[in-house]
Amino acid sequence: MNENRRQILEMLSAGKITADEAERLISAVEKEPEPPSGSSVKAKPKYIRVVVDDSGKGTTKANIRVPMQLLRSGVKLAALIPVQARDHVNSALHEHGIAFDLSQIKPENLEELIDQLDELTVDVDDKDVKVRVFCE
Amino acid sequence: MIPYAVAIRVRNERRRSAQRWIIPFWLVGLLLLPAALLLLPLALIVCAIARINPFPLLGAFWKIFVALKGTTVDVDDQHCSVSVQIS
Repeated sequence: MNENRRQILEMLSAGKITADEAERLISAVEKEPEPPSGSSVKAKPKYIRVVVDDSGKGTTKANIRVPMQLLRSGVKLAALIPVQARDHVNSALHEHGIAFDLSQIKPENLEELIDQLDELTVDVDDKDVKVRVFCE
Repeated sequence: MIPYAVAIRVRNERRRSAQRWIIPFWLVGLLLLPAALLLLPLALIVCAIARINPFPLLGAFWKIFVALKGTTVDVDDQHCSVSVQIS
């Protein structure tokens, strides 16, 4: 018996509340969400998956699973790009309308960046194909 | 844990049974070792010109190799299907 229920029953036995009120309070306590325990904590996703389904046939055309660790290592490698090459890449990205600066990728921001991918889901629906990107 | 093998499966219309290869990485490493030794001085010269410390670069490539474990790529087409699994 949990502490809240015991208190309600004590209040009932002391005559502070009626049986109806006690019933309502107990049902309210039972509806409260369970506090997070060790087993219910959501595990960190280990993979990012890209699935391409054929909308017409209902079959999977491509199914790609990439470990998150590979993304981490790839971003670390990007941080090792020499300054001259990085400038070339940045200018090429800007020419193609992508406002992204490779120098902004720093190891201290890396974990935060990868952690933000946890909740990532991208669904693209086309008349022929359906693309899903998600973490698992 | 480093990846130890790559399993490749190819199935096409012509053959009824799927072709399957399991290639161990130690074999790939052994075959590429002479080429790697030959290219090592060149790679060091390129690193010196580009002012890159080769050791962090080597470490980054090693981490990428280690992180490859668990990668799977399955592509299905009308006429052919290819599956690559790194384990």
